[in-house]
Amino acid sequence: MNTRLLLILLLLPIVAFAQESNDSDNLKIAALEALMSAPPEKAMPLVDKVLAGNHSTEVKERALFVLSQIDSSEAQATLLRFAREDTSELQLEAIRMIGIGGDKDALASLGDVYRSGDADVRDAVLEAYLIADDATAIYEIAVNADNEEDFSNAVDMLGAMGAGNELRELRGQAGVSESLIDAYAISGDASTLRELAMDGSDPELQTKAIEALGIVGGDQVDSTLVEIYRDANSDEVREAALTGMLISGHDSGVLELYQSASDPAEKRQLLEYLVMMDSDAIYDVIDQALAGDQ
Amino acid sequence: MNDDIRKLVEAHEADVHRPPAHVVEQWHSAIDEAAALERGRRQQPRWHPGSFFWGAAVTGALAIGIGIGFVLSGDNGIPAQEPVIAYVEPGVGATPAAFTRGLAVHLRDSRQQITSLDDSTDATMLLLQIIEQNRRFEMAAKRNDAPKLARVLRAFEPILLQLAANDIAPEDAEALRAQLAFELNVMLTKLASQPSDESHTT
Repeated sequence: MNTRLLLILLLLPIVAFAQESNDSDNLKIAALEALMSAPPEKAMPLVDKVLAGNHSTEVKERALFVLSQIDSSEAQATLLRFAREDTSELQLEAIRMIGIGGDKDALASLGDVYRSGDADVRDAVLEAYLIADDATAIYEIAVNADNEEDFSNAVDMLGAMGAGNELRELRGQAGVSESLIDAYAISGDASTLRELAMDGSDPELQTKAIEALGIVGGDQVDSTLVEIYRDANSDEVREAALTGMLISGHDSGVLELYQSASDPAEKRQLLEYLVMMDSDAIYDVIDQALAGDQ
Repeated sequence: MNDDIRKLVEAHEADVHRPPAHVVEQWHSAIDEAAALERGRRQQPRWHPGSFFWGAAVTGALAIGIGIGFVLSGDNGIPAQEPVIAYVEPGVGATPAAFTRGLAVHLRDSRQQITSLDDSTDATMLLLQIIEQNRRFEMAAKRNDAPKLARVLRAFEPILLQLAANDIAPEDAEALRAQLAFELNVMLTKLASQPSDESHTT
């Protein structure tokens, strides 16, 4: 008997077992799905049994989701137990399910889980708060963060949630930072960014705020960017305004600046931006530039 | 300039002919760069299907990528697909029963589309469309006083975003698809087993 055949024969029971196990899991998962049509008092003990039994992580994860859909304090207690005590993937999944469940007490308890957890757990808690649309809880995490990464992660999340009030409040509490500016951009807070863009006390943050305005975009922002460019007293600010217009796609503003510029180097730079922006007016501008009209 | 923005701008610069493939490429890049950024931030990453931190980075990149991509592409870069939600304008005269029916259609369509996803470029486009529709239904759920449904829909998004990433391992993608299919099925079962105004019982 050659080696390959021997290997196949040896592996066959394993493959068969894996297939059997997979089929078994699929059946259990289908059964869990069906549980959703059962009344909570009947579903709950069965889900508990699955979670306590010797089943695969996948099956138990599915059971946790079913649990999140059962409106009962027992279901929330079980989820919280997994969120607090488990250390496997099930812990992260349970935290997510508490977010889906939206129970106020369970969500409040996640604060302790966050403080005692590792980076994955902390991320999962932030995600749960996002799912539960609980910007206040994330704000509290940001305010109490004792390191830049945790603060930045919380701020990112607030930005994704469009939590403008909390982000503005954070500016007063923690001062302006790059992560906060990014979050203002993602949350679409043009007025705060405009304020920061006009503040030259920290040139680095100012240029970042100007560029971030481009992400927000819109007519008012476009006008502001042109205004910032015109009033700029440094090349950095001027370039940031151009970048902002590039990001917002305000080619008519760049064209306007091109037409009013008289310095050849400035005109060349503006022309380059118009090319990058694929402006409809670019061919006329090129034509004029080649003819020496402008 | 922020590195993320610079990379997106560079991707923008290359997109002078507005071919759909470039737009798709931009989205891929934005997602992958954000994913790489997040991976770099963690010394010993432990991948978790539901981790939104990974998704939060993607969200940021995607928000920018979608903004720029849509501006650049116009109608050319997006495959035509009639959005299911078009007939269920959130909160504007939609009765809970109509909302529930619309949501069931959305969940069913999403399940079907997700289970038949392949590795083609169109898969990313399709997922982004599902995300967009999912957000509309999430808003509709909030307006229809169905916070529990809104939370479930919100929980789908990180998974959808991870599926939209270009560099996800096939086995991880398969696990995510299976998880999402299950959760969609459960929600469909739940919707079917409750009266039409169930959304008010959350």
